[in-house]
Amino acid sequence: MRKVTLVSLGGNTYQLEDGAHEALAAYLDRAARVLAANPDRAEILADLEQAIADKCDSFLGKHKNVILAAEAAQIVREMGPVQGNGSEDAASQTAGPGAPGYASGTEPAGAGTHAELPRRRRLMRLPEEGMMGGVCSGIAAYFDFDVVWVRLAFVLMLFVTGGAWLVVWLAMLIVMPAARTPEQIASARGEALSAREVMDMAKRKSADLGKAAASGLRDAQRNLRETFGSGS
Amino acid sequence: MSFSEKFVAVRKGLLEFAVLRAIAGETLYVADLLKRLSGTEFATQEGTLYPLLSRLRRESLVDYEWRESDVGPPRKYYRLTESGKQALSELQGYWNHLTHTLDRIGN
Repeated sequence: MRKVTLVSLGGNTYQLEDGAHEALAAYLDRAARVLAANPDRAEILADLEQAIADKCDSFLGKHKNVILAAEAAQIVREMGPVQGNGSEDAASQTAGPGAPGYASGTEPAGAGTHAELPRRRRLMRLPEEGMMGGVCSGIAAYFDFDVVWVRLAFVLMLFVTGGAWLVVWLAMLIVMPAARTPEQIASARGEALSAREVMDMAKRKSADLGKAAASGLRDAQRNLRETFGSGS
Repeated sequence: MSFSEKFVAVRKGLLEFAVLRAIAGETLYVADLLKRLSGTEFATQEGTLYPLLSRLRRESLVDYEWRESDVGPPRKYYRLTESGKQALSELQGYWNHLTHTLDRIGN
C-alpha cells in the first residue's frame, strides 16, 4: 500500500504515487529555475506541465488511475532537461544548462540516453573573475553567494586568525582546480540542486542507510549466534 | 571521439533550422514535431523544444493558434510567419553556401 498525492496538471487531476510526485515536482522546479530569466517563463512552464499531463494520460486507463514512480521517472527522461532560453547560446546562461553533457537534447534518443542526471556543480576556482586566484569567486559560484561577501569573510578571517587564514587560502588555491574552458566554467556554475532535490537525496540516502544498518544488524546477530549459539 | 559526438554542436545549432523546415511544411503541434524529428539526427525533447519555439515566437518567426483536439485539451499548432519564411529561405541560402564552400575547399 502506497500513498498517493493529488495534483492538478493542465487543468486535470492526477493521482501520483509517492516518488512520482517528487520526481515531477523536482523536474518542474528545476525548469522554473532554469527559465528564471526567460520572458516567456510562465507560458513555457504551462506547456511543459501540459506535456507532462499528456504523457501521464498515456499511462492511465480504465483500471489504472495512479502514476507510478517508475512511470514518472520515464516521463522526466522523455521530457529531457529544460534549456534556458531555447537558443544555441544556452551555455552562456548562468543557469548552466550548457554544462557538458547536459545540453545534448539534440542527441538522437537512441545514441546514449541522457537520463535526467542532475549535473552536479563542481567547486572550482574562477581565475578570470577573481581578484587573485579566483578562490572566492569559485566558492561564491558554488554556494550562490555574492562574491563580495565571500571576500569580506576571507579578509575578516585573515584578521581573526592573525594571518593563519593565508595558509587556508593557499591550500584552496592549490586544491581547487581552475575553471578555464567554457565547459569547466559551466560546471563550476552548474545547476544547483533545488531544496527539494536535496531533500530527495537525503531521503534516499537515509533509506539506504537504514537498509544498510538493518542488514548490518542482521549480520552481527548471525555472527553472534554462530559464535556463541552453536554450543547450546 | 565518435563522429556523432564531434557534431553535437553542429546539430544543436542546426536544430532551429530543422524546426523551421518542419513547420514550413505544415502546421504542427509539438508532439507531431517531436515525432517528425525523432529518428533523425535532430531528435529532441520537450525540454528543448518548448523554450526554442517560444524564442522563435518572440523573434516573430513562428506563431501558433489553438485548435481543439478530440482526445484532450486544445493544442497549440505552430506555423511560420512571413518573416519566418524569409528567415528560412535565408538560412537555406546560407546552408547551401556553406556546403558549396566545403565542396570547393578540397578541389
